[in-house]
Amino acid sequence: MGLIKGSLSLSRYQVKGDTPPDFWDFVDRRIRANLFLDIEGSTEEQAVGWVSAHDYLDTGFAYASYALDPYVVLSLRLDRRRVPAALLKKYHRLEITKALALREGRGLSRAEREDLKEKVRLDLLRRIPPGTQVFEVCWDTRRGEVWLGSAARAVRDLFEDLFRRTFDLVPWPRIPYLLAGDLLGQGALGQRLEAARPLSLYQGED
Amino acid sequence: MDVLALLNEKVFLGQEFLTWLWYVAEEEGSVQLEDGRLVDVLLGERLVLGPMQGQEGTRVTVKGREASLAEARQGLRRGKLVEGLRLGLTLDGEEYWLNLEAAELAPKALKMPPTAPGQGGPEGLEGLVLERISLVDGALRGLEGLLLVYRPENRGRRPPGRSSSRSPERAPGGWRCPGPGGR
Repeated sequence: MGLIKGSLSLSRYQVKGDTPPDFWDFVDRRIRANLFLDIEGSTEEQAVGWVSAHDYLDTGFAYASYALDPYVVLSLRLDRRRVPAALLKKYHRLEITKALALREGRGLSRAEREDLKEKVRLDLLRRIPPGTQVFEVCWDTRRGEVWLGSAARAVRDLFEDLFRRTFDLVPWPRIPYLLAGDLLGQGALGQRLEAARPLSLYQGED
Repeated sequence: MDVLALLNEKVFLGQEFLTWLWYVAEEEGSVQLEDGRLVDVLLGERLVLGPMQGQEGTRVTVKGREASLAEARQGLRRGKLVEGLRLGLTLDGEEYWLNLEAAELAPKALKMPPTAPGQGGPEGLEGLVLERISLVDGALRGLEGLLLVYRPENRGRRPPGRSSSRSPERAPGGWRCPGPGGR
């Protein structure tokens, strides 16, 4: 996101739902229950969880390093590995050749070919290191607003799901209508906002 | 109503707000917020116009130089509205540059004022993060302040590139209700 340096792109959310009275203990418990778990050396294709905003290898959060009262500052870490289709095809063919040699000319059934393909895929997954992406998250607990350091739809979906699972709170995107509604309140201006319709600026020029 | 439905139904609010910001940048240069602070508004080198909500049409993307702004003004006369722009805001002596899209009004490529070099160690890092958060917060509150100024009381202003004789009775500048004389 660039909370430490550089320019940044944000997605904004309003947090809906009640928080418990022991808020900071609650936050600590929930973050630790949803830490990032490394998938290095496994065949998992994806892992998502919380890490320190200062160091994505740090999941210890010593001295509750996420707590910068009134802010909760941490990062969402996403590790993902993909087997390139061309690589899978190549090693699948090699395995088929080996299997056929052992069978002295007898062919392989469709199911046997599929089993070989899955075996090759898992073997490759174990050998391919996952790529890591990190997205900063800043929760202003005083205003109930969360910033995510990404505008990508796929990242937003992962964040919304992880935040909801972690804190049992719903992050609502702050689209202009909802933002204006929050700013204007429930009074007459809020009602005018509710009734607002698009304005045509067309001046008859084609 | 879910967020997607609201987004589709009320996307014009963001379009009209950005169109108003373009007007402010070109015609007035600054806006006084409700809390009395003055925000200078500058147009950066990116302006995207698209068809207004519910209509079909092409997008016009221009760089913010005078020559190409003529094309954007032409798009405005054809009923297009601003879908995205790069904007400069100066507030409390701090200068921000950011990209805004009508659908969300969340800053993209936000360039903030420089911060003092951080001291070493965790405490220095925390101080730096808090300072940067404060700057982001300043930009967001400035943006929200502008959104609050964009209200019915400020109607009657004209968008850029319009002559007074051809201006619509109601130009961008407020949360409008449908009423006699058009939408």
